[in-house]
Amino acid sequence: MKNWKWVIFAALFALMASLPLYTGSYFLHTVFIIMIYMSLALSWDMLVRTGQISFGIAGLFGVGSYASCILQAFNPGLNPLISIVFGAVVAGIVALLLGLATLKLRGMYFAIITLAMAEIFRVIIRNLPDTWAGGAMGMVLPNAIFNGDLKLTYWMVMAITLITIIVSEIFNKSRIHFAITSIRNDEVVAMSSGIDIFKYLVFIFLITSVLQGLVGGAYAQIYGSVNPEANFAATWSLLPLAMALFGGMHTTWGPIIGALILGLASEYLKLLLPYGYLIVYGVIIILVILFLPKGIMGLIKRFTEKK
Amino acid sequence: MPIVKLLRQTKYQVIAAAIVIAVLLLLWKPEILIEGIQRSSLYAVIALPMALILGVVGIINLAHGDFMMLGAYTAYFLAVKTGIDPMLAMIPAILAFFAIGAITYLALIRPVLGSPELNQLLLTFGLGLVLEELVNLLFTSQPYKLSVSYVSSSLTLGNFTFGTFEFVYVLAAVVVFIGLHYFLKKTRLGQSATAVGQNPRGARLVGIDVNRTYLIMFSLSIAIIATIGVLFSMRYSVFPLAGAPYTMKSFCLIAMAGIGNLIGILWYSALLGVSESVITAIPGAAGWADLVFFALIVAAILIRSYRQRVK
Repeated sequence: MKNWKWVIFAALFALMASLPLYTGSYFLHTVFIIMIYMSLALSWDMLVRTGQISFGIAGLFGVGSYASCILQAFNPGLNPLISIVFGAVVAGIVALLLGLATLKLRGMYFAIITLAMAEIFRVIIRNLPDTWAGGAMGMVLPNAIFNGDLKLTYWMVMAITLITIIVSEIFNKSRIHFAITSIRNDEVVAMSSGIDIFKYLVFIFLITSVLQGLVGGAYAQIYGSVNPEANFAATWSLLPLAMALFGGMHTTWGPIIGALILGLASEYLKLLLPYGYLIVYGVIIILVILFLPKGIMGLIKRFTEKK
Repeated sequence: MPIVKLLRQTKYQVIAAAIVIAVLLLLWKPEILIEGIQRSSLYAVIALPMALILGVVGIINLAHGDFMMLGAYTAYFLAVKTGIDPMLAMIPAILAFFAIGAITYLALIRPVLGSPELNQLLLTFGLGLVLEELVNLLFTSQPYKLSVSYVSSSLTLGNFTFGTFEFVYVLAAVVVFIGLHYFLKKTRLGQSATAVGQNPRGARLVGIDVNRTYLIMFSLSIAIIATIGVLFSMRYSVFPLAGAPYTMKSFCLIAMAGIGNLIGILWYSALLGVSESVITAIPGAAGWADLVFFALIVAAILIRSYRQRVK
């Protein structure tokens, strides 16, 4: 049984890794955009497993993109991969500071702080001198990463997605899992079992933010540009959130399935409703919360357990 | 000296500091103070219904500002299509949004009352998004602006000028605050709402219909906020995201004042509004005014978590 599972993983991995060898660039582009959303959805879900909700994916994503873009712009000879890691580090520092400040009071306080985050960073970027961060116009790098080679870009995004999946699995399979679950279910029980809730929450917020910053940094290097509207856009929070919710929270597979379905659907929706297609995601969020709180994974579980 | 004694308490220190700052501003640039008070009143009157929902129903409504935006659109289209004074749109807005609030409560809020806080936050977040995008689909993201002649009236005293229409927000804040205060303290429904807010189970035990109280209070708050939206539309342009910043600013005020502290919201909205106007008045710094509420909210959370040792 166990070997059988690994064979499937290996086959899936081989299929995904070999995709650039025989598919067209439009398809490849769609797939890696979905992977970007998938990593964000999964990293968001890791924090949700502790019972805390972050609406700030866009903020950390944007901080990661800006940090990597600024470093690259001031050091044109630098390897862009280093800039991407720098983006992740800066997002991590921001999250650490915010987490230390706000995670003692959790729940809605933390949620609202993260909700305001993207807007706050956008204001900061707009107000900084244009020579530092490009102001309202944003900045353009002389070169995209790998000189725009789609295959290499795809493999890089795939590697990031793989890292996110592995981190998520580590969280779900190791001892941390018990700490996370008990914090979510009953803080008093968690505390009396000797779990330092605050420390765990800050640590997990830090890890998930580093992942989001990493994705943001990669995105900025792939397109070789940043601007306050695109990189802090609400869609960066919204889509991953809807995907994770739709697929099923608190699992690794839920956000992956959710990202696949909604990611493909969004390509179609964008054509169907160019303005305001986001309403679909809002409706999905409401319907899932009301009728399917465990998402598709919950449905699958219900059917497989009945038999 | 009793005054010296009083000044040993933090509360009175804050009040004394506020008075000193107000006097200094009055001497330096009175229009900043007046503009700040008008701005604060708008913040306060928007935050009060949100505090009411949070205090009684226990839900943080992330779609709060979006209901105000809907009220503003209602006023705009009523005024443009029928030619009535937008002020008069308040009457249909109250009735319509009381009903909309009731429907929202029954269809969306009531099913998640027993769910984890996470689900409630996600639900109201999704609701806000749907409202914004619905308006975006129907009317595009183009801003609409009413032009009412008396809105741009101003008063000149000595050598400074300020708008007079904006005092309508001060009036609205006073009316809503006194109305709510009277309602919660003196009427039977208001008293039962207070009881439900303090302890729903206890309220149920003494025979209060908790569900009905939730329904009425939620609908009432939505009606108030939409009515404020009518006043909002007369002075500012309306677009799908017009209300969203007010959700966060309202929460900022509630976080500073503490849940259930309505009078505190007035004080802290004065702090927020006046500081924003002061920063806006400094040349070259105007853009940073949007960060004030975030700094205040983080400060409030820090003070709360390290002084009171919540958990």
